[in-house]
Amino acid sequence: MTPQEKLRRFEEQISPHLKPAYNLAKWLTRSHEDAEDIVQDAFLRAFSAFESYRGDDAQPQNAKAWLLTIVRNTSMTWLKRNRNAGAKLCFEGALDDPRKRSPDPEEILLISCDREEVRQALEQLPLDFREAIVLREMEGLSYREISVAIGVPLGTVMSRLSRGRDWLRRILSTQGRLNPKEGAGLR
Amino acid sequence: MICDDSRIYLPAYLDDELDVSDSLRVQQHLANCQDCQQTQEHQLVLRSALRDPDLRGYPSADFSKRVEAAVRRAAKEEARARHSSRFEFLQFEPARWMAAAAVLLLVTTVGTFLVTSSLRTSNQQLIASAVLAGHIRSLQPNHLIDVPSSDRHTVKPWFQGRLDFSPPVPDLSELGWTLVGGRLDYVDGRAVAVIVYQRRMHNINVFLWPNHDATEDVIWQEEAQGYQILHWNGAEMTYWVVSDLNHAELLEFARALRGH
Repeated sequence: MTPQEKLRRFEEQISPHLKPAYNLAKWLTRSHEDAEDIVQDAFLRAFSAFESYRGDDAQPQNAKAWLLTIVRNTSMTWLKRNRNAGAKLCFEGALDDPRKRSPDPEEILLISCDREEVRQALEQLPLDFREAIVLREMEGLSYREISVAIGVPLGTVMSRLSRGRDWLRRILSTQGRLNPKEGAGLR
Repeated sequence: MICDDSRIYLPAYLDDELDVSDSLRVQQHLANCQDCQQTQEHQLVLRSALRDPDLRGYPSADFSKRVEAAVRRAAKEEARARHSSRFEFLQFEPARWMAAAAVLLLVTTVGTFLVTSSLRTSNQQLIASAVLAGHIRSLQPNHLIDVPSSDRHTVKPWFQGRLDFSPPVPDLSELGWTLVGGRLDYVDGRAVAVIVYQRRMHNINVFLWPNHDATEDVIWQEEAQGYQILHWNGAEMTYWVVSDLNHAELLEFARALRGH
């Protein structure tokens, strides 16, 4: 692959995924400036590794998953380096069991679709769960692609998605908001 | 299937990630269980809320232009690096044309014997330009090190969970090579470990990843854009070393690293 050919193919296959890349970095870091820095760095890393990317035009999704894996790893490195700058790393154990705090499913009347409430709820979701949800719901990656991107087994992906969504659902339940004391308090 | 199982399988069912028999079991359970039906409805509402385009983050208007420019700069740099490392001798020392012609003659004569090794060389050139680009990128502020430490017991564990192999991080300080840290990089289609050493403010990037051929060989050497690049295959790892340190000292470093 000549350098011109490499650039052409990179711009054709990888560059179109700039917005998903930014969206992921933004949801992981919760900072606009950092997300842009991370995405630019990730694009340079992706470009220098591009010769080894074996995708094809028939499977554009692969290119996106490949890029998002690099964006995710670049974001994690950034988050760990800036741990003290307010970016809080939460691990699996940190997710409270919402069953203790919110009503049983049959008591939930309605879940909120208010965009700001959804945004706040997702922002408060611990990082491990948030990344799985963003990769699945917003970027449409398959479980297998997520498992590769995050570097955890398929079963862990399933469990994080399931627990993350369950938590969000309960946090956003109308019943929870009406009964703040025993309701879906955000810790 | 009972409700507890259904709740575990429901998300994967809605994501269309279950196999046929599990899918059927969830469907059967849903048909008979109002609670789970309601859970399913809520999941669907939540899903459409999360897929709302307005929930997404959007970069600045000129961001894609900026990234495009940065990538094109990197492409230019890489093309220059590749060009100069391959053709330097043609441009500056015409006398070597003779040598080149002789080599060419030899190649055509020996023919097929050399095909495999020349293929290998071209792949090596690709990796060489990739590690050189990685080294140059690492010299930009804040790009050199993900885990800054002179303690090998800090650097080595840092790679756990980030790589599918555990890179050796020898302490060479007694020989005058200071460990300054490590980072992740991407070369040849995989995440690789980079261990960074220093001597007199010269940074040395050691790129390494598992050597699947498992054949040890001699140290391969090249100079490009003023940087020295050394490469060899160890018994377990493939090594690429890049630095602006002079050739003799870098070779000494490579031997120290190799002997460890």
